[in-house]
Amino acid sequence: MRARLPQRVLPPLGFALIVLGSWYGVARHLANPQLLPSPWTVGVALVDLLGNGDMVDDILASLGHLGLGYGIGAGIGLIMAALCARFAALETAIDPLVELLRPIGAIAWIPFAILMFGVGSTVPVFLISYGAAFPIFVATLAGMHGVDRALLAAGQALGASKRMLITHVVFPAALPHVLAGARLSLGVAWAAMVAAELTGSDSGLGWRLFWYQEFFRMDRVMAVIVVIGVLGVAADALLRALRQAVVGWSPEDSNAA
Amino acid sequence: MEGLIPRIAITSLGKTWQGRRGDVEALRDINLAIGPGEFVAVVGPSGCGKSTLLSVVAGFATPTSGKVLVDGLSVDGPSPERGVMFQDYALFPWRTVADNIGFGPLARGVKRAERLEITQRLVALVGLDGFQDRYPHELSGGMRQRCALARMLANDPAVWLMDEPLAALDPQTRIVMQDELLRIWGDERPADQRRAVLFVTHGIDEAVHLSDRVVVLARRPGRVRAVIEVDLPRPRSALRSSPEAARLVAEIWALIRDEAVDAIREENG
Repeated sequence: MRARLPQRVLPPLGFALIVLGSWYGVARHLANPQLLPSPWTVGVALVDLLGNGDMVDDILASLGHLGLGYGIGAGIGLIMAALCARFAALETAIDPLVELLRPIGAIAWIPFAILMFGVGSTVPVFLISYGAAFPIFVATLAGMHGVDRALLAAGQALGASKRMLITHVVFPAALPHVLAGARLSLGVAWAAMVAAELTGSDSGLGWRLFWYQEFFRMDRVMAVIVVIGVLGVAADALLRALRQAVVGWSPEDSNAA
Repeated sequence: MEGLIPRIAITSLGKTWQGRRGDVEALRDINLAIGPGEFVAVVGPSGCGKSTLLSVVAGFATPTSGKVLVDGLSVDGPSPERGVMFQDYALFPWRTVADNIGFGPLARGVKRAERLEITQRLVALVGLDGFQDRYPHELSGGMRQRCALARMLANDPAVWLMDEPLAALDPQTRIVMQDELLRIWGDERPADQRRAVLFVTHGIDEAVHLSDRVVVLARRPGRVRAVIEVDLPRPRSALRSSPEAARLVAEIWALIRDEAVDAIREENG
């Protein structure tokens, strides 16, 4: 059961005010304002950047990297999982490689990608794809393997063909896992995007972080960080809403989300 | 049922499961014929293979020896001709009540308008009016059970195979559903308008209340220990706890008791 609105909203709001207040106090009275700008200064920088259009370009560049990289990576993860579920030999063949590559993480490939592709949009797209592929692959495959055998038996007893069992039983049964995996993939992709743009790109929010670091503009560095955080939360909320719309039949706590 | 062609004919059936820790003989030399419109219950202690028996008739498992004929044809795999009701209902959680019921007709390629007609008729028959658009997780146990029954009936199967369908219900709901099941099966109609039923249950009183014959299985391996005729008049709903029914329950319990105690000891030890 969900708590009532004030109980859900007031504690986090209160805590946020405490954090902002402490930050403000430290920034005004203790720290070097060049190193630690106050929340107010960061807010002004944020409005400024949004106003002059630079920030919008950076956001669009980052979302472009993310959209392309996530589309490629999640698509590959999804297709490979479906193929592995269908052909056990394929899963046996690629499983060791997957297990080897998965823990390496996208960030470790940054030097490789920069040398291979040169600084530009290809580096973030490649690394986002790499990071996004694994979580959705693992979750989808687990979902397809984990289909309740009784549901398959029920489908058979009701006269479903092999094809209908896959489209009408296996796919919908695995869908909550697929969407949970899509969400995990997005989180990984988002982090890979920032890291890759920071060093290997000539556009995007991560690249802009590096740019303002070079100019020693801490207020703008922090303004960009705020934007990265807000957009990350928004993207996650979007996927959660999608999940609710598509698999509303499945109570949230019954999923490996 | 002499003189009638049985709907289900089980001859010298044996089933051995092959497992990692060696083979387990679940059924040995089962012979059983179920006539048209006959309601046969199978009872026995844990491990007597009653669920295995149902799996083989349903076509989910293949016999190790012997054969199973349904309407004269050898069973090779599941078929919509044999309706199955599962222990935990196995409703599709992503389909509404109406779409669960309509799954069988959809699988058989029935046109949409006719599917709708079938679904509506069955929703009314099992008493789920107003709940067509609910998902299984929004239903009570009794309503899920009604939905599972309607889903099975949507294919109008020649035989009903039921694997402890009422086991998960609370005692009062179970009594209500027993009588609902009898009504839908055709307890009040002549025998030639009923389907053949193979009904696996833990409940001896349930078996006596519902069936025409009770098959008592022995365990390890599962064998037919006795077949008890239940010669109580139909309709049965008024007959709950008649002296005759109580006598049959006691007789069947006497056949099972020692083995049931052994089974419980083994499970605990």
